[in-house]
Amino acid sequence: MYDLSATENGTQAQAHADLGLQLARSGNLERAEAELRQAVDLEPRNAEFLSALGTLLAMDKKLEESTTIFRKALQVAPNNSTVRRYLAANLWQLHSYAEAKKHLQILLQQHPDDAPSRLLLGMVSENTQDYATAAKMLGSVPVEVIKRPESIAALASSYYHLHERDQARDTLRLLSGDTKAVLLGAEIADQGGDYDEAERLLQLAVASTADSGALEYRRALVQYHAGRFSECQRTLQPLIETTNVTPQAYNLLGWCYHRGNEVKRAVEAFEHAISLAPGDESNYLDLGRILLAHNFVPVALDVATRATTQFPNSAPVFNLRGLVESRRLQFTDAIHSYAHAVQLDGGNVDSRLGLARAQVSAGLISDATLTFNTAIQRFPKEPRLKVAYAELLLKLGDAGDVVANARAEKMLRLALAIDASNSDALYKLGNLELNDGRVAEACKNLQQAVKFSPQSSEAHFALARAYRRLKRTNDAAKEMDLYKGLKEKELESQAPEASVPSDEAHN
Amino acid sequence: MKLTIDSPVTRQARLAACVIPLFVIGICVALSCRPVFASSAKEIFTDVTQDAGISWRQFSGESPDRFLIETMGGGVAFLDFDGDGLLDIFLVNGGETPHGKSPTPLKNSLYRNLGNGKFEDVATKAGVDKINFYGMGVTVGDFDNDGFPDLYVTGFPASALFHNNGDGTFTDITDKAGVKNSGRWAASAAWFDYDRDGLLDLIVTNYAQLSFDNPKKCELNGVRSYCAQVAYVGLPLTLFHNNGDGTFTDVSVAAGLEKLPGRALGIVAIDVNDDGWPDLFVARDASPNLLLINKHNGTFEDAALDAEVAYDENGIAKSGMGVDGGDINNDGKPDFVVTNFNDQYHSLFTASSSGVYVDRTAVSHLAGLTKSYVGWGTKFLDYDNDGNLDLMLINGHINEEIESTRLDVKYKEPPLLLRNTGNGTFQNMREIAGATFLSTYLGRGLAIGDFDNDGDSDAVITTLNGHPILLRNNVGQNNSWIGFSLQGTTSNRDAIGAKVMVTSSGRTITRWITGGGSYLASHDKRVLVGLGGNAKPVNVDIRWPNGLSQHLSNLPTGRYHPILEPKAPNPFNQIHK
Repeated sequence: MYDLSATENGTQAQAHADLGLQLARSGNLERAEAELRQAVDLEPRNAEFLSALGTLLAMDKKLEESTTIFRKALQVAPNNSTVRRYLAANLWQLHSYAEAKKHLQILLQQHPDDAPSRLLLGMVSENTQDYATAAKMLGSVPVEVIKRPESIAALASSYYHLHERDQARDTLRLLSGDTKAVLLGAEIADQGGDYDEAERLLQLAVASTADSGALEYRRALVQYHAGRFSECQRTLQPLIETTNVTPQAYNLLGWCYHRGNEVKRAVEAFEHAISLAPGDESNYLDLGRILLAHNFVPVALDVATRATTQFPNSAPVFNLRGLVESRRLQFTDAIHSYAHAVQLDGGNVDSRLGLARAQVSAGLISDATLTFNTAIQRFPKEPRLKVAYAELLLKLGDAGDVVANARAEKMLRLALAIDASNSDALYKLGNLELNDGRVAEACKNLQQAVKFSPQSSEAHFALARAYRRLKRTNDAAKEMDLYKGLKEKELESQAPEASVPSDEAHN
Repeated sequence: MKLTIDSPVTRQARLAACVIPLFVIGICVALSCRPVFASSAKEIFTDVTQDAGISWRQFSGESPDRFLIETMGGGVAFLDFDGDGLLDIFLVNGGETPHGKSPTPLKNSLYRNLGNGKFEDVATKAGVDKINFYGMGVTVGDFDNDGFPDLYVTGFPASALFHNNGDGTFTDITDKAGVKNSGRWAASAAWFDYDRDGLLDLIVTNYAQLSFDNPKKCELNGVRSYCAQVAYVGLPLTLFHNNGDGTFTDVSVAAGLEKLPGRALGIVAIDVNDDGWPDLFVARDASPNLLLINKHNGTFEDAALDAEVAYDENGIAKSGMGVDGGDINNDGKPDFVVTNFNDQYHSLFTASSSGVYVDRTAVSHLAGLTKSYVGWGTKFLDYDNDGNLDLMLINGHINEEIESTRLDVKYKEPPLLLRNTGNGTFQNMREIAGATFLSTYLGRGLAIGDFDNDGDSDAVITTLNGHPILLRNNVGQNNSWIGFSLQGTTSNRDAIGAKVMVTSSGRTITRWITGGGSYLASHDKRVLVGLGGNAKPVNVDIRWPNGLSQHLSNLPTGRYHPILEPKAPNPFNQIHK
């Protein structure tokens, strides 16, 4: 006896599947999807039907469902390379890089020369900053790479990260005259610090497009990144003289003036950006930060206050206000601002960090401790919270809390487990060990601190202390010289608080 | 109460119950025991200012211009200006500012100790009541070795030297002596004999560039307030060499001091490396502290960085104001305390054999005790005469607006009396120190001296725009003690720079006659050593400032011993009085 209904189902399912594929080829995705769903309903363990449905859903950008379907297909047919590859592609697009990588490695074990898998693994590796693997994989499938600007960009980016500038440039030259592709290449070069190449690509794009304004803006951005602030200003000047000047152009001009210490002009530029885009809080935020950097704290408070009126529901804006209030030592006000920011967006780490710090500064230690503990629970992978909490614990340790230092050390080690290059954590841990007499360990951590933060005067100072304890006098002297040089620069840049960014001071 | 008729046995028992404690007390008094009942009932220090008749008030010149100098005055000195064996008190007034005027003429005060707990202001009679500059601090020293202490008053934009004429009057000899320190804002100063020629030289801390024509504008919480000290550019120290003829020479450049500008406020002269030559610890405000080692050739070399007292562990220069040096752990080496701003803790540095100081601020509990305070005058003193140096710290903020931005820092702050427990920590004696320590002030200067000659350290505190506070010590004389009044012959007469080592019951206690110390203040030059419960005679070794060593044995306790520096190199003298 055989199951006639099963046979009937199978025939019907095949019919639906065939129709579905036909409809898909003709571009009728909606009906194709319906047919393929019916095929799958009738034969839910048919890998071919599942794969077809998954592919169709992917084409229609229904990636999550497509991924679920591909997973089912793979369960039914675990050796189906096509299904596995499509699944990996979905996962990559969904940013599930670890799982994507797992499937690609299985594929390459089975079929080491599978070019699409190599290509995809290259892309995934670049996304996960495994640049060596990315370069190896993408470099091994030039035919595949050359077809796709994104792959060319990924390969170039990998070469830049591996400090292989010439290879990166050669790769970018594979980009065609297509403006979009060239812009992508320019962005990659810019990010890679290859500003000359970025400008060259942008000039190519300018030559072949009508929208030179946007490209000139991009060129000015590259010049800014390259530290060529006067050039950046000159590039932007024609743009701001046009009638369709963009707020971004004024924003960038403001940054250029800031770097050139022309604060008044920077303020004017940002105010123009604000007037052009009153609904964009980023201009207020940038202006506020620049004013703080130049110590125009009262003016920064004005800007922050205006911003909070304009954007009453913006956590970043209230963070700015809290930051300015803290700078003015108005810690109780800062607490209110940061607390409001937390209420507006509980997922903003900066709000919680700012709140805790303001509470510490105001002497509300219990409140600060609660804020830290809540924030650390909520954001366990955020090292800044742990380091800031450790700072509080170290202060409590100084004040006589016998267990606080041990807890501080634990926090710092947890922070370093998340980010081994966190120079602040390395410095604080090194100092703690030094004070505890663990000089050799202190030395190691402080050496790492100066490696990751070579401009930190305090790290050099602490390392000098450690070297002195180890009787490494010459090394201590070298570190002290570095400390003194950096400290001098810090003190020079600490201008007294100024009232207004102009030549006339008024009350 | 119910009346009952007692039986004779009961009555006798009751009488015995009353009499026995009295009998015990009587025995204790006779044997000079420490009467437990009496000391536990007394506060450690009593404010006797009113009883003493001290009514003077400091004037800061506080004004809307908010010149930082308005927050920083308060000089005070204990000195025996008339040689009658009783410590008098000199108080330095502040001054007027362009918009901070006094309704009455400003004057310094010289309170003469009348010996019965009373004092009388004789400043006008003595000719030290007026100065023509904004007054800051004072240092007392017999610069001409005539037996009468002279006064150097610091201030802005000048300082003044008053020579003690020996007849109850002083003469302003500033210009003749060449010690005006013109144009500078001077703070603490110290007499010390840096070249060991037997004549006291003068070191002056200069704070910062200041001009009454150029007020700086700062705000705290939207209110005009005093600017942070970093808004003012620091200055180098001034060193005046005593020429021996009533004149001085500014040798700051030659001494290597001109290349060390900073905002200096406190100074103490003490032999740091035990080579017999006086060195200097300079407390500086948001400038690195200085540890100036005397090179024996008229120059000084700053060793603060290597000694790890210049900055805190983060490489930050704290806001050092007052400083004192003394041996708090009885290892024979001077340790240092420095007062700082709130959140910085007042620092405690103890000497080690390597020359690097150990920062014991936290482990000694000083950090926890001083976190919220802005400190000024500070002095090591053995208030209970148990042989361990205790610590007094004077606190007070500069900005009234601080209370609108901080919940843990106040404008007026209490002074602190911290007892040295003997195991490396300090204990706050607030509850029994006396009412003064339970109150809050804008405290500034602190001078220590035994004004009633009962063998324990008394104190006088100055407050901004307020009355000084004279504190009488009630407990120190209940322990054994010994005191020395040194007089140099080839060394400077005040014996500043002498090192005194008292050996008692196998324990050696080391003290120095320092120059300067605290903030804007000058102290009793006698050496007072607490001996705890040991009343047996003690041995003393003295290293005089010019290098001579002297040994004295079997000195009875409970009194001050006048000791003259031997002229001939005969180190073994026994002196009985």
